[in-house]
Amino acid sequence: MNSNVNNFVINIATANGTGSQSSNLIILHTMFEMGIPVSGKNLFPSNISGLPTWFIIRASEAGYQAPGDKTDIQIIMNKDTWAKDVAALESGTIIIYNEDVKLPIEREDCLAFGMPMTKMARKINPKMAKLMANMYYVGGLAHILGINVDDVIKAVESQFKGKEKAIEMNMQAINEGIAFAAENWNIETEFKAESRTKNPDTFLIEGNEATALGSVYGGINMLSWYPITPSSSVAEGIIKWLPELRTAKDGGITCAVIQAEDELAAAGMVLGAGWAGGRGMTCTSGPGISLMSEFIGLSYFAEVPGVIWDVNRVGPSTGLPTRTQQGDLSMLYEASHGDTQHIVLIPGTVDECFEFGWRAFDYAEKYQTMIFGFSDLDLGMNRWPTEGFVYPETKMDRGKLIRNQKELDAVPNYGRYRDVDGDGIPYRTLPGSGIDPILYRGTGHDEDGIYSEDPIVYQKTMERLKRKIDGSRDDLPAPILREEERKELGIIFYGSMENTIKEIDDILESKGLSVSTCRVRALPYHSEVESFISRHNQNIVLEMNRDGQLFGILRKELPTSLLGKLHSVAYSDGMPPRARLYSEKIVNVLEEM
Amino acid sequence: MAIVKLNVIDLEKSEYKGGKSSLCPGCGHDQISNVIIQAAWENGLPPEGIAKMSGIGCSSKTPAYFLGKSHGFNTVHGRMPSVTTGANMVNKDLAFIAVSGDGDTASIGMGQFVHAIRRNLDMVYIIENNGVYGLTKGQYSATVEKGSKKKKGSINSQNPIDLCAMALNLGCGFVARSFSGSKKQLTALIRAAMSHKGMAIIDVISPCVTFANNDESYKSYNYVKENDEVLHIVDYISHYSPIEEVDIPEGQYREIELFDGSKIILETIGSNHDTTNVVSALAAVHEAEKNDKHVTGLLYYNGSIPTTTETLGLTDTPLSQLNEEEGRPNEQSLVKVNARFRGS
Repeated sequence: MNSNVNNFVINIATANGTGSQSSNLIILHTMFEMGIPVSGKNLFPSNISGLPTWFIIRASEAGYQAPGDKTDIQIIMNKDTWAKDVAALESGTIIIYNEDVKLPIEREDCLAFGMPMTKMARKINPKMAKLMANMYYVGGLAHILGINVDDVIKAVESQFKGKEKAIEMNMQAINEGIAFAAENWNIETEFKAESRTKNPDTFLIEGNEATALGSVYGGINMLSWYPITPSSSVAEGIIKWLPELRTAKDGGITCAVIQAEDELAAAGMVLGAGWAGGRGMTCTSGPGISLMSEFIGLSYFAEVPGVIWDVNRVGPSTGLPTRTQQGDLSMLYEASHGDTQHIVLIPGTVDECFEFGWRAFDYAEKYQTMIFGFSDLDLGMNRWPTEGFVYPETKMDRGKLIRNQKELDAVPNYGRYRDVDGDGIPYRTLPGSGIDPILYRGTGHDEDGIYSEDPIVYQKTMERLKRKIDGSRDDLPAPILREEERKELGIIFYGSMENTIKEIDDILESKGLSVSTCRVRALPYHSEVESFISRHNQNIVLEMNRDGQLFGILRKELPTSLLGKLHSVAYSDGMPPRARLYSEKIVNVLEEM
Repeated sequence: MAIVKLNVIDLEKSEYKGGKSSLCPGCGHDQISNVIIQAAWENGLPPEGIAKMSGIGCSSKTPAYFLGKSHGFNTVHGRMPSVTTGANMVNKDLAFIAVSGDGDTASIGMGQFVHAIRRNLDMVYIIENNGVYGLTKGQYSATVEKGSKKKKGSINSQNPIDLCAMALNLGCGFVARSFSGSKKQLTALIRAAMSHKGMAIIDVISPCVTFANNDESYKSYNYVKENDEVLHIVDYISHYSPIEEVDIPEGQYREIELFDGSKIILETIGSNHDTTNVVSALAAVHEAEKNDKHVTGLLYYNGSIPTTTETLGLTDTPLSQLNEEEGRPNEQSLVKVNARFRGS
């Protein structure tokens, strides 16, 4: 098999707000529907219009989904980044560029193809020339890769659903682009896209939309949110699906949506909903979690269920708002002042975004505390394949909820905060029920919920809370293990690194290493994680942050005897992980041992 | 045999009482707690249907001292409105009675106060306003008047934030000011607020006996008694017993019908105040402030503003009471969703 068939990286440099996203998604979906393993990454600025943006499309017969380490085909539309984009290319790169920008491509070592895209677009529609120009590179690319125009039409129709005029205009532009390339670009190139047998069940979807749908199927009753990149599309996804999926027989909606005044209020509303017996949720990113921290502590201490999704962007502070990172993990795990510990669900695929979306509510009510869903910009805002979402396999778990006097009488020695069953989880009643009314409080309280500053009462409460959360370990999603016979090296990782791990694994195996992997899917970590570490000679904790946050958590909680075989590889530059870069860092650490 | 007084749902007043107060003896807040107990009892509210809400501070401790048969949530500082919002969204049938202070509302919680009004949350929002932070030993709050002086420290030189003026500007449908020492007026206003659908703001001047009850303090007992400009005598007539003992004056009076059919009767004393006119209400507030007076009574009333849950078009059953079939879409729906994504 020719290694340049379905194995290449396309980088498309455009300016934000020029409509290039439509063109890029058309290329991505065309290749996806052809059955080519393909992934797309949108590297966009914190801006609505004008700043540079890049879209990376990688075709990989091996199924690698990381952005790739070098560019094979560069499309250049943006004059602001023109010189830099051109200079960065490796020798032999194919360049497709818009001639009308009238900037030089002084790279004799590359293969450059120009097209007067703006001029051609103006003939179709002068007003929309800037937007339409982007469709010409779709045509040029289709020609170079040998993509049949019939395959493109399907993607265009799906992109502009039902808008006949738009479909017609854009197809005209693409066809003109193909014709121009066929006539003027007379050199045969090495990269080809070839159709494969596509699993008809698979489709591409953003992690945030999967999370939104999961929440809708999880019975969300109250969504409070404050807009923040990259989490807003979780809320917007829920809002979009509510009319169809959550309209009651009387025509009313079964989930209230409130756009809050800030993240503090959004978190407060989640607690209010949970306290009153509903399933409340908010979604945010790191800056929002910082603001919500006081309420997160209240949820932990007063034992009020709730769900918060954190779609991580780059911190600290405002950071890089449109770039990706795993920098919030340790904050989520111990958010708020005093001793706290929170359950964190960490999806690594869109299927898990959906699954943890609904499961989060069950965990929240079961453990009567705040549950975090921890995603990131890469997983949340880029499109990933799934074979379709799986319906919840278990009934809703309302936890130890007492709804009437009979149920109350069945609990011996009931007290709101009394550990009747020995698992650290007490029973609760709801406002409106008239059953055991108490005043919930963030102040010290005894087993009946009465205010207390008693040292023993406080200390016992804190011990019970620790026992309660600790007891969730093996009830939470277990790690995904891929183990080799030789227990030489274990890589422990989590979240969206899932999309790069296969390539990292292959690179390391090609160097003669035997690599097992363990993807952690929740905190507090499962006992399987500990046994995985103990089985392997050496373990690397691989993550996208500076300080090695999961490494820190493991080091704090693992038995001291295991710490000698635990090492950290933590690196973050805001970009989705490139396999070669992380592999090199792993090799460096191994060499230092 | 002792005669026991029962309300319309056959409960004794003791059913509405709470725990023992730990506030300073003579605190205005305890008088307000007693009025809340009296009002809820007289209105015949079922205790289990009430939710008591508060933030942090002296005033926010008081839900422990009233309505002991009702669930409550003593939340965090300045954030009572958001917790109330969440609870209201999932159970619109609860009667929310919230207590906050001037620090809790006018400083740290100003944002949430404003937005709860903007949404017209269905709740009674009582501010127990004494102009100082009592629990941290008497620092000024943002509602203290320019020129007022607490027991220790210098005269306040900053402009006050008037919470009634803010509520009026924000379009709140029920805005009243009262005084913890005016038991009759306060009882009628709180009873009316409980009968109102939507946000009811009652700013109650409640002297801090420990840090600001000196005569130079504009919120001391003596000062308020001497400078209280009463807009009108307020009487409340409940919908279930229209022959309650109320002296209706012979002169001019105004009757307002509330959401649950109860009525509030305002006996106008000399002033031209019109409770349906927000400009007139604002004028009354600002006029009083200019003269270092406190204007009390029902400043403004509009019962026709839709509440948050009405605006959202929620199903009739409180969301927290939905069963699994109503809360989770069926399996067939997901088959359809998947099919749509597949483009088939």
